[in-house]
Amino acid sequence: MLKPKRFLLVLCLIMSVVIIVPAVHASEPVTLNFWHHYSAQSKENETLTNVLIPQFEKENPDIKVNAVSHEWAELHDKILISVSTNQLPDVMRADIAWLPEFQQLGVLVPLNKEMADFDSVAGQLLDSAMSTAKIAGDTYGLGLNTNSKILFYNTDMLNAAGVNVPTTTDEWAAAVRKLSGNNAQGQQVWGWNEPGLSGWNLAPFIWSFGGSLTNDEQTAASGHINSAETVNAIETFVSLVSEGALTGFNSGDIPMTDGFGTGRYAMMLEGPWKIAELTGAYPDVAYGTAMMPAGKGGSVSVLGGEDIAMFNSANKEAAWKFMKFMTSEFAQTQMATVGQIPVSKAALDSQTVQEQEFAPFLEAIQTAKARPTVAAWSKMDNELMVAVNAVIQGEKSAQQAMDDLAVVFDGLLKE
Amino acid sequence: METKSIKGKIQLGALLLPGLAIFLVFTMYPMLRLFWVSFREWTLSSMVNQPFIGLGNYIAVSTDRTFWTVFVNSLVYTLVTVPGQMMLGLFVAVLINNIKRLQVTFRVVYYLPVITSWVIASLVFRYVFNTEGLLNYLLTRVLHVSGANIRWLDSRWSGLTVAMVLGIWKGVGWNMVIFLAALQQVSADLYEAAEMDGCNRWKQFIHVTLPSIRGTILFALVMLSIGGFSVFTSIKLITGGKPAHLTDTLLTWMYFKSFSTGDFGYAAALSFVMALALGILSALQFRLMKSQDAV
Amino acid sequence: MAGKVLKKKKTTWLFTLILALGAIISMLPMIYMLSTALRPNGALYEFPPRFFPRMENVTLENFQYILSQSKFLRNFLNSLAVSLTTIAAAASVSSAMAYALGRFQFWGKSFLFSLIILTMIIPGMTMIVPQFELAVQLGLVNRLFGLVPFYVAWVIPFSTFMIKGYVEGIPKEIFEASFIDGASIIMVYRSIVLPLAAPAIASVSIFNFLTAWEEYPWANTVINNTELRTLPIAIAGFFGQHQFTQWGYVFAMSTLTLLPVVALFIVFQRYFVQGLTAGSVKG
Repeated sequence: MLKPKRFLLVLCLIMSVVIIVPAVHASEPVTLNFWHHYSAQSKENETLTNVLIPQFEKENPDIKVNAVSHEWAELHDKILISVSTNQLPDVMRADIAWLPEFQQLGVLVPLNKEMADFDSVAGQLLDSAMSTAKIAGDTYGLGLNTNSKILFYNTDMLNAAGVNVPTTTDEWAAAVRKLSGNNAQGQQVWGWNEPGLSGWNLAPFIWSFGGSLTNDEQTAASGHINSAETVNAIETFVSLVSEGALTGFNSGDIPMTDGFGTGRYAMMLEGPWKIAELTGAYPDVAYGTAMMPAGKGGSVSVLGGEDIAMFNSANKEAAWKFMKFMTSEFAQTQMATVGQIPVSKAALDSQTVQEQEFAPFLEAIQTAKARPTVAAWSKMDNELMVAVNAVIQGEKSAQQAMDDLAVVFDGLLKE
Repeated sequence: METKSIKGKIQLGALLLPGLAIFLVFTMYPMLRLFWVSFREWTLSSMVNQPFIGLGNYIAVSTDRTFWTVFVNSLVYTLVTVPGQMMLGLFVAVLINNIKRLQVTFRVVYYLPVITSWVIASLVFRYVFNTEGLLNYLLTRVLHVSGANIRWLDSRWSGLTVAMVLGIWKGVGWNMVIFLAALQQVSADLYEAAEMDGCNRWKQFIHVTLPSIRGTILFALVMLSIGGFSVFTSIKLITGGKPAHLTDTLLTWMYFKSFSTGDFGYAAALSFVMALALGILSALQFRLMKSQDAV
Repeated sequence: MAGKVLKKKKTTWLFTLILALGAIISMLPMIYMLSTALRPNGALYEFPPRFFPRMENVTLENFQYILSQSKFLRNFLNSLAVSLTTIAAAASVSSAMAYALGRFQFWGKSFLFSLIILTMIIPGMTMIVPQFELAVQLGLVNRLFGLVPFYVAWVIPFSTFMIKGYVEGIPKEIFEASFIDGASIIMVYRSIVLPLAAPAIASVSIFNFLTAWEEYPWANTVINNTELRTLPIAIAGFFGQHQFTQWGYVFAMSTLTLLPVVALFIVFQRYFVQGLTAGSVKG
């Protein structure tokens, strides 16, 4: 018969098993937690887990890498959650637009101060890529890959409609209109796909139309986000949306790759990874590429890319080894074969990388601009999306929405 | 029963202790903490020290336009899905109660949506209601009800409609089961007496069935209202709050404010307002039913 | 009289017909899910769209992919382990509470009970921020079994409420006889409450299993590592990456996730009904 004491004991045991057992998880020599946003089912992730990490672990038998894939927006949120609770990973692959925000939280390691061989490591990487990690004089990450977006067009659709590849923003708007309508099966077809309304999506238009997001010092937005040029860009974009010529940012839309691959979207602005994706899923689609159409501001695409950075809480020695490995010629070349443009100078010169179709992207990078490198960018990005949506919904004129947004941006930039 | 002996008291304590401990640590403490935090400034830039700001967060919530949008969304969701699934559930229960064969089969089939997880059901609905999805094909090409594809997921009310259809579809089975059980407890004598008085089936339903299952109706109303205000997964996975937070509900907005922008103080105030509103709503519903009891 | 019987027969047929139609509508989404899982990913945007795949297109490649390429089995075992631990802990803890609350008078009892009922009214999600903080303080973040105490805490109020109702229905005499025989409270709990309230505990446990099996927001918030993900996070993770959703995989995984639950339900459907109705009819 179970006595009260024993009963209590059993209950306490159950409780403690539930609570404590997971805590005494066996600890390996050193486990590096690496968070990234290579899509879980992507070629990049395959290369990372099947080629790069095994190689790194072979070279460093005392380090194990635990790589975790998150969806892009979720990775940002996960980092914020983890900052608030000291649960950060050791190393992360961060969108270059996030670095200022994380730096402001004081969780990133200033590499130039803490790593003895920083200069020699940084010297092997492109200056333009390294500059994305430089905030107020210190460098908080290593460039990992760079990219920009170029125009992809469906050759057959352009030929059928008798449309030339647009080179100016005016030609672009006309082409988008002309390519829209219905296909032979009576399905709706759109001239342009834009999968979102964030800065990543809208900035190339704003810049190429001659507008800007903030002043050069990134301290104020009035007179920039609501300038005549910016408003013109937004108006053009929204009128294409309302004419049924541009879509992609709605929840119900056909996903970009599927829509482009099945001839429902004629054109899009996308990065180098799209080539591998199309080859894998829609090998039969005939397409060409071109630069972002030029307007008053020239042909200005958006500078993308990722840095690799470590957090304060990391095992710094191991983390630094891994960061150096990921930016090494070997890793960079491997990643280049699956659509990641390297930032390692040696890798860029290598035969394998030369064979990739990176030339147009590298050309676009020459004139591409970075999104504002400010801590408040994520919030500004959300506000931009809300504002443009208000224009699309017809609640505000483009001028009105951008005027209101300028006030919000000014406030956020002051914080 | 009273326990007098010390031994008895200790044993009683032993029965209560584990549950109480979990309840206090994992439910009560967070609730009190939530209340405390809701009066503090707690954002990403004030992570370590959280200064007291009085009603600042509550003012921020109540003056936030998006809050009122998502509040109305949650309210509409609840006002539509709760009566919707209750009426359909009761209807199905009455039908099942009046047939002899296949009762169990129908009960199982109608209950299947309930046990389908929210994640799975949401993804299926998103796929079906896709602008290029099967439903639009059916409406435009087969039934010719609509000339162009309806952009179900792309605007505030149509996006919410999809979530509400999902909510109702998923909830009918639950209502069916509890109403069926209630119906089976209504004494046959009552119906016979009503039939003697010349009541037809409809009148019997109004005058005999409904009053007899009032307790169950109340139970369902309270539980479902809580469920309606708690809607999260379906919104997050079907529209993700798009366009521009117009389809967000209280909880998805709270989640966004906490984990995407780090405004934990705001989120805490919002949570607390919501908990309070639900408490009052439930109390009112009980009152209403009690007062009808007296009539 | 004969006319009345005939009329009754007619309405029975009508009712059955309506119910059958409704049943088909209820099942449609699941059937569509299965039919999508059975076709190749390339056939998703075929025109015209089809409810059933072409016979020559039917393939198990999505299922093969899920079972071989993804961490499905791992996710499955994670979900199973978490769900089983949750129901075991919740059953023992809340049946003990239910017995104490349902059979004894003690100081603060009605306050305690009201408090428990009150927390039933408040959606668990509203406390996600402080609960997350707590999880961090207790080191429960990113640990599979760290999910359990939170799930248990969420289901305790409802479970206790249900089991208490059942315990109160056990005739007083049975308890009194045991106490006269000298049995202690704990002995009575073990030898009378547990066996006699078993049906209520079983039905509550089935609901608790479902709760833990399908829970998404909390697990998604606290679990980071890929190997620790439960099924709902794994499914949602398949979705929406890179503007490119492989619906075939998503629905193959969903089907495999749903199967055990449906099997469980069909086997135990009697208990499901009992568990639901115990609380609602008494109301």
